[in-house]
Amino acid sequence: MVKTVVIKPKVDINKVNTHILPVDFEYYEPRTLRELVELLDKLGPSAKILAGGTDLLVQIKQRAVEPKYVVNIKKVRELDFIEDRGDYLAIGAVTRLRAIEKNSLIAEKFTALHEAVRAMAGVQIRNMATIGGNLCNASPAADTAPPLMVFDAELKIVGPGYEKVIPITQFFKGPKKTVLKYNEVLAEIRIPYPKPPTGSAFIKIARTAMDLAKVNVAVALRVDEDDYIRWIRVTLGSVAPTPVRARSVEEELIDKRFSEEIVRKASRLVVNDISPITDIRSTAEYRREVSKVIVRDALLIAYKRVRGV
Amino acid sequence: MERRIRFRLNGEWVEVTVKPNELLLNVLREKFGLTGPKYACGIGECGACTVLVDGEPVLACLTLAVDVDGRDVVTIEGLARDGELHPLQKAFLEHGAIQCGYCIPGFIMVAKRLLEENPYPSEEEIREYIRGNICRCTGYVNIVKAIKAAAESLRAGSSSHT
Amino acid sequence: MSKIILPKRLEKYRYIGKNTIRHDGIAKVTGKLKYAYDIYLPGMLYGRILKSPYPHARVKKIDTSEAEKMGAVVVTFKDVPRKKFNIRLVSVDEVNYKDWEVLTDHPKFVGEYIAAVAAETEELAQKALEAIKIEWEVYEPLLDPLESMTPGKPKIHDKILFGQREVEVKNNIACTKEYVEGDPDRAFKEADIVIERVFKTNRRYHMQLEPKVAVVRPEPDGGVTIWTTTQTIHNTKILVSQVFDIPMSKVNVIKLPIGGSFGSSIQTNLVVLVAVALALKARRPVRIALTREEDILDHHSYQMIFKVRVAAKKDGTIIAGELENIMDIGAHQIQAYPLLGTALGWFVSLYKWKNIRYKGIAVYTNKTPSCAFRGYGNPQVTWAVETVIDELAEKLGIDPLELRLKNYVGRGDIFWGQGPTVKSVIRSDGVPELIRKGAELIGWDKRPKPGSQKGRYRRGIGVARGFHTSGAGGPLSGEVIDYTGAIIKVNEDGTIDYITALQDHGGGTLDAHAKIIAEELGVPLKSINIVWADTRTTLYDVCTHASRGVYVGGEAARRAARIVKQKLLEYAARILGDIATPEGLRIEPDEELGQGVIYVEGSPEKRITVGEVARIAWQRNWGSIAAAVSYRSYAAPPAFTVYFVEVEVDTETGIVRPVRVVAGADIGTVVNPDLAAGQIHGGFAQGWGMATLEDLPYDPETGELMNRGFITDYKVVTAPDMPKLDDFIVIFADTEEPTGPLGAKGIGEAAKNPVAAAVANAIYNAIGVRFYELPITPEKILKALKEKGEIKE
Repeated sequence: MVKTVVIKPKVDINKVNTHILPVDFEYYEPRTLRELVELLDKLGPSAKILAGGTDLLVQIKQRAVEPKYVVNIKKVRELDFIEDRGDYLAIGAVTRLRAIEKNSLIAEKFTALHEAVRAMAGVQIRNMATIGGNLCNASPAADTAPPLMVFDAELKIVGPGYEKVIPITQFFKGPKKTVLKYNEVLAEIRIPYPKPPTGSAFIKIARTAMDLAKVNVAVALRVDEDDYIRWIRVTLGSVAPTPVRARSVEEELIDKRFSEEIVRKASRLVVNDISPITDIRSTAEYRREVSKVIVRDALLIAYKRVRGV
Repeated sequence: MERRIRFRLNGEWVEVTVKPNELLLNVLREKFGLTGPKYACGIGECGACTVLVDGEPVLACLTLAVDVDGRDVVTIEGLARDGELHPLQKAFLEHGAIQCGYCIPGFIMVAKRLLEENPYPSEEEIREYIRGNICRCTGYVNIVKAIKAAAESLRAGSSSHT
Repeated sequence: MSKIILPKRLEKYRYIGKNTIRHDGIAKVTGKLKYAYDIYLPGMLYGRILKSPYPHARVKKIDTSEAEKMGAVVVTFKDVPRKKFNIRLVSVDEVNYKDWEVLTDHPKFVGEYIAAVAAETEELAQKALEAIKIEWEVYEPLLDPLESMTPGKPKIHDKILFGQREVEVKNNIACTKEYVEGDPDRAFKEADIVIERVFKTNRRYHMQLEPKVAVVRPEPDGGVTIWTTTQTIHNTKILVSQVFDIPMSKVNVIKLPIGGSFGSSIQTNLVVLVAVALALKARRPVRIALTREEDILDHHSYQMIFKVRVAAKKDGTIIAGELENIMDIGAHQIQAYPLLGTALGWFVSLYKWKNIRYKGIAVYTNKTPSCAFRGYGNPQVTWAVETVIDELAEKLGIDPLELRLKNYVGRGDIFWGQGPTVKSVIRSDGVPELIRKGAELIGWDKRPKPGSQKGRYRRGIGVARGFHTSGAGGPLSGEVIDYTGAIIKVNEDGTIDYITALQDHGGGTLDAHAKIIAEELGVPLKSINIVWADTRTTLYDVCTHASRGVYVGGEAARRAARIVKQKLLEYAARILGDIATPEGLRIEPDEELGQGVIYVEGSPEKRITVGEVARIAWQRNWGSIAAAVSYRSYAAPPAFTVYFVEVEVDTETGIVRPVRVVAGADIGTVVNPDLAAGQIHGGFAQGWGMATLEDLPYDPETGELMNRGFITDYKVVTAPDMPKLDDFIVIFADTEEPTGPLGAKGIGEAAKNPVAAAVANAIYNAIGVRFYELPITPEKILKALKEKGEIKE
């Protein structure tokens, strides 16, 4: 009666231990960006960058990663800043989420980013976690990704002897995967100031007030005096392997005159841009339905912000 | 690869030797006997291990001990001064905010920073600020009440605490 | 601020009904209180447990040599007594099913214990654990109870013990219970209306903040001292003694505060027995603290599938009720058998069905063993019954409140909340008062018609009522052990030590006892010291469960206080001289002195303090002023609760938000108002989680939890998810329970039992859709609204 079977557990429960870090590693604290990159180049792919620790240390406890070397990036002071550079705002990669949340310039100019950060985890995590860490961890549900994408953010990546700037849309390669090579570091995020009058908004649907997103969306738009939409960005998270632009919605709305009705219609097109799955947090069907709703809600809020009402 | 680290712990400079993979929570509990910060999830979901590092609430279960070298760490044990309870501690006592009590050190440490940042928190602001802390006993009602009351008493300056 | 409405009657008391600072409060707010998790002993080893990664398997070979080479002490299933037992000892032995082992070579769920190691540090223990090599034979798991009980499926258990008798398990059915009263078939024929529904509850996790832990120190006399997370130190002592054949006098279990439990430590957590095995072998103290991801594999709630059938007459008279109850109990029995009876008890004690049929089946599955979780099946049964009652009212066109009042089991009726062997007569009943006041405060008359609203956000008001027993006592001995012990002694300066084994899980139970003692004795509350004791220095107490702490334990304390008072008065009469009888003396607390003052009624100048009496009794060799009482209650009265809940449903996202709560509780005399209200607040939060949020699905491929043990994906409510302070009102009924200490009853579980039902009824009122499967998630709501045609493309 008893059938023998082959089962491959998805977690080795005897290796996981969240009391401790059940992995020995060598630990480094470089002080400059240059030192950091040289170190990463030397140590090779078995090194892991430690920023806030709120993802990496959890992954080590869960044995999802077992780094031989841990490189603490937080002592690289030159990566901790929020700087107005005229055309754009630059945020250092190790800037804490809490610093971003408290920054009034970001709240004013990049409201969707402010709202996204505010919606993340609890205050303790926001005091620890960095924006670079949130992006490099490349969770499809990362809350900072959609707002940075709607603002056409660019990422400065530094490797041994070179640096480059890429649009954030090219950064994510899949769940937990980015374009970064082992010896490259995300150094800063550059967010161009949108041409006024622009409004933006972020909405997240989750199980409780302290949760990862089932779905999240950031939008930004600019309308002219006659209410024609002249620029628009819609980006969602947690509904595809990476955060995605809802280009169908954007294309439907660009150069149209803003109205609740047209936004309502256009928002439904979001299902063409997303490919949600069913997991423990939600179902594909729900994610599809709710994406339509929050895209519309976010657009209506963003519009009100353009109009200052 | 052991390291000697030195940090301020509840107002006193201390030194200890740690391995790089040692967590602040375990060092506080096992090397300094400070068992106020609790383990309850180990993955940053519950806030029971909250301590203040350089005045900001962080999770000791996800902080490397080596990372607090040279910094200021305050645990729940460091809150009462000269035998005088902090207004938050008093308010938690007076408003029935404690049941099993296991989560309470975490709540108080978070609330302490809240009231420093925002002496006039609305109820909603209180709730949002403590959302990283789980309490399974109280439904948060009396905890929110206590934090509100502590804010009032701090504003009234009924205490020498700052 | 959140309102608490208290009866005026309480004003006559000095301490009862007043908010006071809890005795362990300062230690709790300063972080100084030591929970079991905080116990570290000199020379201690850290233990780790090797758990089965498979839902059903056999160990063909185990090699621990590498681990031992690393210096670890290792125990496997070969090193522990191979006997079957039940980790819970609340039922009498002859009805206790026993299918547990300390460590096993035949694991039946992911997480079952195979072996354990102890080493100098947790890191070393972890490495040693990983060095153990096992060859497995893995079997096809059974994860669904209905499939598991189908004939021809693989056997999870073969032979188990029932009492001392070996029994064979057939079709994975752990145990069954049937009951018939009256003639239900006839009643269903004669009914004007019959409603039949199938309900499926969720699998929930206690998520008590302190994971399970055991610290065990072997003693030179061959005994052990144990620090652990437990709701019962005495049953822990007895089980360790029975399994390891150590005399009970040599097993000492220390009483400690516990970081929440909610039923998860009614049974001795198996980790205790593993730690004992390691400590005995290592001859050194061993600490095993479960991680959260281990704890979530240790205990879940009972997941139940019900068929409910109700018959009524047109005028709203209920004439029959049937309940079929299939329970998924996981891989081992903890209290499945008594629960089959208790679930019936919850059912029959809700409404006067008159004609009753019940069939209960407990089924083994290859999942984490289920145990009591605040309410012990009552929240599940009440959700189903209160949903059907709501439907019945609507079909009959009768106000749901009226229908409930007409048919509920109340004063003068026989109550058997804890099942057929625990019956008593209801003597106090605040249900009508709570329904009337609650309806007024929530605005019941103004609630919308179900499904009548348009628009995105729809609000609805729901009601549900319920109860829980206060303990498991009764006139007959029954199948449940229920008695407690209290020792009170007056120190030589008049301060008072109160010693009990009864655990306070944080509800303030022991503060309630202290108030009862102070009130009964007439001494200041602050003169009473609640002693942290152990099994050696206390009388037997079965367990803090079944909401019995205040009702049973408080009465034991009161009776001990009465004896002490008598002695004090006798001694005082002797000292004061020319007192005719001690009955003419009174005691009153003097807060300034911190003492009770004994005086002659009518001649207050003739007086002496309790301290002086105690001092003289000591100096003159009169002996100690003390009392020891072992007490069983002859009743288990219901604490009634009535919840009115208003919710708001976002029909476009399916998200439900609690808007207002008016919670009524009849708990007899309210001893600690703020903490009693705290029970309601916490009960609501847990009930809300049950209704809308919490579930533990299993991975059908691997038999693992879908959340892989991480609470990242077992969400419980956080502060912003709950109603505002002003929107949460608690009403306490003006009742007095004649069998309770100064009129008190229990509260802990009653505070939660009707919540899920009230929430479900409120959701129905808002959107006109009923749900028969918990939790009612936004996903389900949106799907239902779509099917109903409410969502347009």
